[in-house]
Amino acid sequence: MNITVLYGTETGNAEMLAEDVTAHLEGDHAVTCTNLSDFAPSDFAPEQFYLVICSTYGDGELPSSAKPFAEAMETAQPDLAGIHFAIFGLGDTEYDETHNFGSQIIADMLKGRGAAQVGDRVIHDASGSDMADDLAMEWADSVVELARTRVGEAA
Amino acid sequence: MQKSVAIVGSGPSGCYLAQALLKAKPDLRLDLIDRLPVPYGLVRYGVAADHQGTKAIIRQFERLFERQGAGFIGNLDIGADISLDELRAAYDAVILAAGLATDRRLGIPGEDLAGIAGAGIVTRALNEHPDADPLPALGRHVVVMGNGNVAIDIVRLIAKSADELAGTDLGPVPTAWLTAGHIETIDVVGRSAASHAKFDPVMVKELHHLAHATIRIEGAGTAEEPAGQKKLDALAAIDGIAHGPRRLTFRFGLTPTAFEGKDGRVTAVRFRDAAGAETVLPCDTFISAIGFDTCANLSRGTLLEHARDIDAGVLDDGLYATGWFRRGPRGTIPENRAEAQALAARVIADLDAATGRPGLPATGRVDYAGWKRIDAAELAAATADRCRRKIADRAAMLALALNNEG
Repeated sequence: MNITVLYGTETGNAEMLAEDVTAHLEGDHAVTCTNLSDFAPSDFAPEQFYLVICSTYGDGELPSSAKPFAEAMETAQPDLAGIHFAIFGLGDTEYDETHNFGSQIIADMLKGRGAAQVGDRVIHDASGSDMADDLAMEWADSVVELARTRVGEAA
Repeated sequence: MQKSVAIVGSGPSGCYLAQALLKAKPDLRLDLIDRLPVPYGLVRYGVAADHQGTKAIIRQFERLFERQGAGFIGNLDIGADISLDELRAAYDAVILAAGLATDRRLGIPGEDLAGIAGAGIVTRALNEHPDADPLPALGRHVVVMGNGNVAIDIVRLIAKSADELAGTDLGPVPTAWLTAGHIETIDVVGRSAASHAKFDPVMVKELHHLAHATIRIEGAGTAEEPAGQKKLDALAAIDGIAHGPRRLTFRFGLTPTAFEGKDGRVTAVRFRDAAGAETVLPCDTFISAIGFDTCANLSRGTLLEHARDIDAGVLDDGLYATGWFRRGPRGTIPENRAEAQALAARVIADLDAATGRPGLPATGRVDYAGWKRIDAAELAAATADRCRRKIADRAAMLALALNNEG
């Protein structure tokens, strides 16, 4: 499968996780890893499966590397019908109910333009006892399995 | 010839810079030097014990040493053990990322009374820094001066009860200090208006969880722009919380003018507002969280004054500065990341002309394996309601760290 791992990061934690997920998948798939700050709405292609890993910063806001992408989406209003993505969020429950909004904002944005979400959004809590890598690898394996028959077909 | 880089200070700004340098130039010889036997600086000794999620950034920085080939040279104090000139002679590039540790003073009468401490002193003691000074008993009335995130961290910790500290790495001594149990009032006082306060709104909203506090916001005023309004909204969200007997009050627009004392101990602090009206608050402990300056053994003032391009972080040929050491005590941990990426590009471009100096031998110093022995001992000693039991004593750290050295 052709997979693009996209990440939005503030502290670098999401970037590290994206690199780990990429390394985990690239034995069996063609995987590229891209910062959302280097990705344009016109870059989406239906033959790719997008794994988005995005943190939350401040009071439920997007991390800085995802902000230019969000603004470009707002301007471009692209038609993302036929695009498949899965999403993984990073947050910290020390900071209340807004702690996982970053990934929610991206998921809503993509779905709002017609993209199809594969699997449930999974959240890692920096204050919890799970290792982000453990959760993310399990998530990546499960959504790749779910997407196997869907990516590239009409949504 | 392999090029060599030394980064003085292994806190977040130094670690982010090391990341950026090694990502762009994986064959660099790069050493992170710390005056303590342990790495990570502010993450270990500044980030609050109940913000373990923030401390988790250490997992990124561990990769520097475990995968990216960075070296750790701990227990080496540049400016004391060896001079900065000696260090510069050993490396092609030296970057100062030593942060700022000394509390800024208020400069008002009575400041040397017992019971008055800077946030740095309090934070080092709470985080069991090996150079921490003992803390004065908190008493019944605590005033925290300052409206930044450091002030909010201190307020949150002293407003917590023992059961709210579970899962942290707060040690027995600071735990006993915090929970001695006589605090009646905590006043958080800012000199500026609430809309200009420096805290992040999310830090204030977090106070909502305090299980034993009654919170009141006084004189928050109005805001003229959205960023200020967010601060007011955050304050409004916690105003009126009534969870218990500890009265936590936020006050704004008050400038401290003098302390009052009895038998050498502070008893009250006087403030004046913009209209000249005076407020007097009873005070057994006064903690000033109004920023940091200077740096132990490096002549920061002189270095910055003669800097070739301070905005770019260039002090001299092969000498650079980043983080709080360069720009002063402003900005959160991730802001250092963007700064580090820009400076790394500059350092790497300059290294083209470097000759390839050999770096320092690590003999007699703490290397990364030595730190991991300290780390393992601390994790193994954690009690049921703590995630780590820090070793506060430098000699005990060194005994562990140098244990297996030839």
